[in-house]
Amino acid sequence: MSALDDPQNHAARFSGAVETPVDSPTEAVLYRLGSPAQAVARRRNRRWQDFGWALLYMSPALALFLAFTYVPFMRSILLSFYVTTPTGAPSRFNAVNYYARILNLDGSGRDEYLKSILTTVEFSLMVVPLSMITSLALAVLATARVKAIGVFRTIFTSSVAISVASAGVIWSLMYAPNVKVTRWLVNLLQLQPDSLLNNASTALAAVAFMTVWTSLGFNFIIILAGLQAIPQELYESGRIDGTNGWTAFRYVSLPLLTPTLMFLCIISTIQCFQAFTQFHVLIGNAGPDNATNVMVYALFTAFWKDNRYGFASAIAVVLFVILLALTILQYRVLDRRVHYQ
Amino acid sequence: MSAPVAPTSRALHSSPYQALPLAKKAGTYFLLGLASFVVLFPLLFAFSLAVQGATVAPTLLPDLSKLDLSVFAQAFSKEKHLGRWILNSFVVSVAVTLGQLLTSALAAYALANLRFPAKPFFFFAFLGPLMIPWESTIIPNYLTITAWGWKDTYQGLIVPFLASGFGIFLLRQYFLTIPRELYEAAVIDGCGRTRYLWSVLLPLSRPALGTLAVYAFLNTWNQYYWPLLVTDSTEWRTTQVGIAVFRSSEIAVYNLQMAATLIVLFPTLLLLILGQRQLVRGLTEGALKG
Repeated sequence: MSALDDPQNHAARFSGAVETPVDSPTEAVLYRLGSPAQAVARRRNRRWQDFGWALLYMSPALALFLAFTYVPFMRSILLSFYVTTPTGAPSRFNAVNYYARILNLDGSGRDEYLKSILTTVEFSLMVVPLSMITSLALAVLATARVKAIGVFRTIFTSSVAISVASAGVIWSLMYAPNVKVTRWLVNLLQLQPDSLLNNASTALAAVAFMTVWTSLGFNFIIILAGLQAIPQELYESGRIDGTNGWTAFRYVSLPLLTPTLMFLCIISTIQCFQAFTQFHVLIGNAGPDNATNVMVYALFTAFWKDNRYGFASAIAVVLFVILLALTILQYRVLDRRVHYQ
Repeated sequence: MSAPVAPTSRALHSSPYQALPLAKKAGTYFLLGLASFVVLFPLLFAFSLAVQGATVAPTLLPDLSKLDLSVFAQAFSKEKHLGRWILNSFVVSVAVTLGQLLTSALAAYALANLRFPAKPFFFFAFLGPLMIPWESTIIPNYLTITAWGWKDTYQGLIVPFLASGFGIFLLRQYFLTIPRELYEAAVIDGCGRTRYLWSVLLPLSRPALGTLAVYAFLNTWNQYYWPLLVTDSTEWRTTQVGIAVFRSSEIAVYNLQMAATLIVLFPTLLLLILGQRQLVRGLTEGALKG
């Protein structure tokens, strides 16, 4: 019980100022702050108060992540072990049969899902190198010291603002056989006269080519930022050693840019594994001879068309594992990048 | 328009300007022009097809003597829902943007400024969603939204996207650059925690908030997969799903398809030109800082 709580000691309560038994103002402050033990207690108290506020501030985001990321993710894993009813409720335990089916380990010899994974890999191999080389060329061009370079940079960036869906609508017409320029190009390259998208040998490449275009803007931005981060002095000292143009690019820019390019390579591959919109807009089914049945599309078919929620969840989990491996790789590369600088 | 792409580009311009020889300069402009033409070709193609009237065999260049610009108005009258789709996309994108700004700012503030137990746990709880791809949660999310009766509603399109791991870490990173002494001084002066966030931290963090806003708006406007799943009726479609549906219903009417697509592209192209600096910062930070 402190003096302030003692009803007999009204003087201390209402005298306005609490008497301090010290003279100097500094000591008075120290007295009010109390003993070290009290200070520690106050700090701990503040820490718990902060904890309460922190929980309050974090709660909206935490609740949303719990409801729309963590719980659904757990449910996906759970569903993948069950045969489900058409409304998505688990009905019969199925162990790892769906996974065996996807990876063709069930001895049935039906390997369309394994093929689907391979198609996705093939799609990435078509998109990523072409997109990287083109964006690198654009970024090098955009470092030219000429007037109005900003306009050109905006133009080179433009595809980040173009949604994959609208790009898909535009490119579906660019691939349409009755557009004269397409027909002329198809004849020139001696491709099949019917639509590029209806032909098993060209469909995947056609979608990949369109994807390259949509990815240019993003890759351009990252590579240009990487080029601009290279200190000018390196080029100047290189010039003294006789580098110029190509050799400066080959021996100064490219080595310093390699971590950025590697990192970009992985992000682009992740994006290719997640590609869905362009396949849905341009093709709208598994493609001629299943030629464009990439993983996310196979997932979509199992889930949306066939209502096989358990099986679709198993595909989703396999996709997650692949993407997780790529993400870990990405952070490894990122770590190294930071150390190099 | 000529916004510098990164802070370093300003330094690049201010360095002593070396006049290139005329021939080399002309060559550079030629290459830049050629590259621009190739990059813009699909858009030019779309515009060309849009203005050459209804034809089943479009040519690359329209007949300049009979350009048909009324096609942009026709698109609205032919597809009665085009206006509604644009409205839907605007409502959803603005709501998601504001929501992400709010939830990210609050969570980032707690992570950056407050000292509390078990912080690493919460840190990883926010990092997790960056690792879990949207595709592997989409089935249960769809089942949830259906069970709640949220199909064909704004909340079904908005609520799942109100929090963003990217946004939280972007803002946390920025909040950490603001000296902590400012926070301690404000608290000693009796400033409450919420008031500090609202009247000190947020006004100081405008660049980061702008970056997140442009990024969130663009991503939401361009969404396709989720709106495709949770909208059934034509009037609840968003622009992206709408134009894809419109394309399959007007499969032979090229000029209208292209006009509708260009109308839908217009807001994001405008955003690119106006908010290029924010957008570029957002993309590079998102990519390079994870």
